[in-house]
Amino acid sequence: MAAPPGEAPLTAATNIEPFYVLHKGGAAASSSSSSAPSLPSSGRARRRIDVSGLASPNPKPGKRSRDDDAAEDDDDDELYERLRLDAFHRVWSKIQSTINEVLRGISLKLFDQVLRWVQESFSAVRSIARPSAAEVRQPYPLLTDVICRKIPTAFVLTKNAEFVDDITTFRDLAEYLESNGCHLAKLSATELSEKNGVGCCFRSLLRQLLSDVPDVADIFALASWYSAAENYDQPIVVVIDDLEQCSGDVLGELVMMLSEWVIKIPIFFVMGIATTLDAPRKLLSSEDLQRLEPCKLTLGSPSDRMNALVEAILVKPCAGFCISHEVAVFLRNYFFKHDGTITSFISALKLACSKHFSVEPLSFLCMGMLEEDRENFWHDKFNALPQELRKYASGLPSCTREKDSTKSGDNMVDGLSELMNIQKDWSSVLLCLYEAGKHGKVQLLDIFCEAVNPDLHTQKAPNLPNEKSGTSRRFIDQVMDTIRYLPVETLFCLLEVWSIHLNGMDKITNKVKELQSTTISTDSVRITKDKWPRRSTNSTGNSTVALNDKVAMLLDDVTRKFLVSVECLPFHEIVCFKNVSILQSALIGNPRRMVQLDLVKSHKHLKCSCCRKNGIAVLASMHDTSIMCNLAQEYGDVINLHDWYISFDGIINSVHSKIKRKPHTSPSKKKSKPVAAESEAMIQARFCRAVTELQITGLLRMPSKRRPDLVQRIAFGL
Amino acid sequence: MALRGGHAAAAAGVSSGSEDDDEEAGFSRSYFLAKEKEPSSGKKRARAAGKLSDLNLVDEQVLRASLAEIPPKHEREVEALTRSYKEQYRNWLFELRCGFGLLMYGFGSKKMLLEDFASTTLSDFTVIVVNGYLPSINLKQVIVTIAEIFWEQTKLKRKRQTATRSQLQPFASQSIDDIISFLNNQTSDNGDDNVCLLIHNIDGPALRDAESQQYLAQVSCCPQVHVVASVDHVNAPLLWDKKMVHTQFKWSWYHVPTFAPYKVEGVFYPLILASGGHAQTMKTALVVLQSLTPNAQSVFRVLAEYQLAHEKEEGMHFSSLYTKCRERFLVSSQVTLNSHLTEFKDHDLVKIRKHSDGQDCLHIPLVSDALEKLLQELT
Repeated sequence: MAAPPGEAPLTAATNIEPFYVLHKGGAAASSSSSSAPSLPSSGRARRRIDVSGLASPNPKPGKRSRDDDAAEDDDDDELYERLRLDAFHRVWSKIQSTINEVLRGISLKLFDQVLRWVQESFSAVRSIARPSAAEVRQPYPLLTDVICRKIPTAFVLTKNAEFVDDITTFRDLAEYLESNGCHLAKLSATELSEKNGVGCCFRSLLRQLLSDVPDVADIFALASWYSAAENYDQPIVVVIDDLEQCSGDVLGELVMMLSEWVIKIPIFFVMGIATTLDAPRKLLSSEDLQRLEPCKLTLGSPSDRMNALVEAILVKPCAGFCISHEVAVFLRNYFFKHDGTITSFISALKLACSKHFSVEPLSFLCMGMLEEDRENFWHDKFNALPQELRKYASGLPSCTREKDSTKSGDNMVDGLSELMNIQKDWSSVLLCLYEAGKHGKVQLLDIFCEAVNPDLHTQKAPNLPNEKSGTSRRFIDQVMDTIRYLPVETLFCLLEVWSIHLNGMDKITNKVKELQSTTISTDSVRITKDKWPRRSTNSTGNSTVALNDKVAMLLDDVTRKFLVSVECLPFHEIVCFKNVSILQSALIGNPRRMVQLDLVKSHKHLKCSCCRKNGIAVLASMHDTSIMCNLAQEYGDVINLHDWYISFDGIINSVHSKIKRKPHTSPSKKKSKPVAAESEAMIQARFCRAVTELQITGLLRMPSKRRPDLVQRIAFGL
Repeated sequence: MALRGGHAAAAAGVSSGSEDDDEEAGFSRSYFLAKEKEPSSGKKRARAAGKLSDLNLVDEQVLRASLAEIPPKHEREVEALTRSYKEQYRNWLFELRCGFGLLMYGFGSKKMLLEDFASTTLSDFTVIVVNGYLPSINLKQVIVTIAEIFWEQTKLKRKRQTATRSQLQPFASQSIDDIISFLNNQTSDNGDDNVCLLIHNIDGPALRDAESQQYLAQVSCCPQVHVVASVDHVNAPLLWDKKMVHTQFKWSWYHVPTFAPYKVEGVFYPLILASGGHAQTMKTALVVLQSLTPNAQSVFRVLAEYQLAHEKEEGMHFSSLYTKCRERFLVSSQVTLNSHLTEFKDHDLVKIRKHSDGQDCLHIPLVSDALEKLLQELT
């Protein structure tokens, strides 16, 4: 779009203004008409707001006038877009709250430990002295005994190389402590930096504790605040979540300062350590360290958290949104190969979720999964669907692939209900697999990826249970193997857990119960003999062998029957996100590669007729910067400007000389006027602009004073 | 694949690239790196020929005039390409509302594209455009503006209920952290109170420091603030750590090459053919010299003539310069000469080097031909 005419006041002034308000939002514009610039699009905005009022659960498009079809379609589009957006927010907030719950649940043990430690430390401090409010406010420290100048400090080992995952943990910890009656402040590594100094971080501390921060942020402000009756009986906990990133000097200074006051103002530290326990020793001087009373605590391992998360959000259909096999494999690889943080995994999942609701027209139906009376919900929604969407629903690939039955609302509602039921069984069976796999150190994410594979279902050959396993069943087979070698006691426990997971699948529960009873009988026999941790020989322990095999066979049977990937079910497109390529491109922007590709293969984007003739040659008709970039590929670290210019000049002028030679045989080059060679100044200007553009993209670095004829190339290879 | 040096490049360049595949980029690099170290005679000739000064460079003003008149290439295709992104506007808006930040990258200026998106699609938002390509950005002012917009909105709402309460302290006099904590407390159930921060070149020169990016990240995760930004530098992702990417900016990347010229973004970059070579240095030297007294100019001339006569030497001794200048009645004492020299040094006209005999000597950091030209111009 070469300048949207009249759309926005894009004058030259706005280009050199560091920043400006392009326009005020709908609400602000309508309520303060004086300050709002008149916008051509404001009318449209108001209409959208009106439409939002229609976003009731039961829209009735039939009532609308039919004279303006286009407008109605537009309205429909906006209405359904809004519905999808609402659905996204509901679904994601459900997922997010599940995530929070799971993570908090895992960390709860630690939180309790910390709280207990805080309480113990507080009573220890108070047992030394209990200064009165007036004493607290006195401008000199109360006691000078070294023992009484130690700040109780809990070092929490996070065991995460990447700190980002622990942000939520420490946030939850802070909330937990606060809700249990501690005064709480958090200091980040940026606040504890050399640049800010101790003053700034103390100010931040005050800002979090005091409602009104005085201009002079000093310890007396804190003391007088703490001496107030309502604050006096609780300890102050300062959480520093990322110790390694803090400046040792600033932290040391803070420690020294607060330690003088610890009896009067009981401040305790909770510090997160990502590496090893000697991190504080590396960071702080021995003098500072002496002022700390350390206590070591440890967080749960990341893989535990990952397994729990996968179980809660991907295996159990907590919000009605699920992902396809391709997406699952991508996410798994993203997790293991990209950075291995749960945060990035969750943000990738959120992006997938938003993409799903953004792209899939019927995705708002996912909300039905969260409703009490979901069938009614779907019925209502289906009846309200405009013709176009109905057609779309019946044309979903998963439906046309299945039997061609009558396309009605019931069909879709039934399909979705069926899908939910099958999904429920699927997740129960998957959890059984995982329970067994736990004994063989199988991660849930791995089995999950296999379990969502649609090929698993199509591949299975009921007559040949042990064949066709291939690579698509690697982890499932591993689980089967694990079961075959499980000791009886474990097997018994496993069956116990299974019967919980399989609750509701009566047939199988009965079989499990049957097995359980045999286990008990064999167990009583076996209990007198030595335990058989492994099936070492085939000749002895026949019953165990048979039992293990029986359990494995049962699981295998159940797996083949119920582990039906969601992608094999009709209407799965509504709830299942499948488009891995849009997720990938949105998640991992790769400017280094893509910008170079843009330039080297500019004709692919521009789709012009002139530059495509023989794909790889550098033609004069190409974008100038593209020509330059192509030429630059031939140089090493440095490019000689003179040579580069000559080559550029040669390419630009080659077209003119060609035209001169045969002016009539190249009708395709109509655009380049048959003038004599471009003027020197023009070519130099074009050269300059191309170099500047390459510099903006960061592919070039300007010449140094010492080597004015050479520019430096930055990026190599694609 | 041979090194395209000198004039052979013109013909070779046309048919070049046929074997220049992606994989070969690495190979060619090491090949040429090796080539560079090789002191072959042919190479030397190419080197000798390959200087910017050999080109018939036009005057900077002519260059700038031509720059403004460069005929656009592929105008229609560029327009069609940019138009093709219009279809995605609704999806972009959707994602923005889902809480993601939009990050646009790809070759070509995205200024028009983003502003068109903002003015056509983001009409419910208050849009603040930040021209990150400018070197003169004051981030605090931007944040203050956002805070003021919110303040105005709350004031409007309060007006309906109670009398207007005056602001306690103007935002401009508060610290950025305080303003950000004010922004963090802004919550509204009304989706129309949102502010969209449209940042052209969030990787621009003035925003490239860690502190600015930290502030931007903090602002971007404030409840009512949305961010749409563009990056042009290939290394832009290095600006952010994981915390910023995943929990604050929450980028959703979009590859949107436009191939539109970087008109405004490129203004602040020097023109390579105008300032890169010695031409510019010679010119600046001339400007400086012309502003000095005739005596000072003559002192410089003495030094320059000596340097031209003794090209191989490291420079001229201070004592011999003093003697020469005294002979010509240019200076009367060492003090006056020193004051001239200080002036030269301040403007980088003269450098002090260690002579091989151990003494300090004076040297003009210009190549001989530039120096000759300078002396001609000076008369």
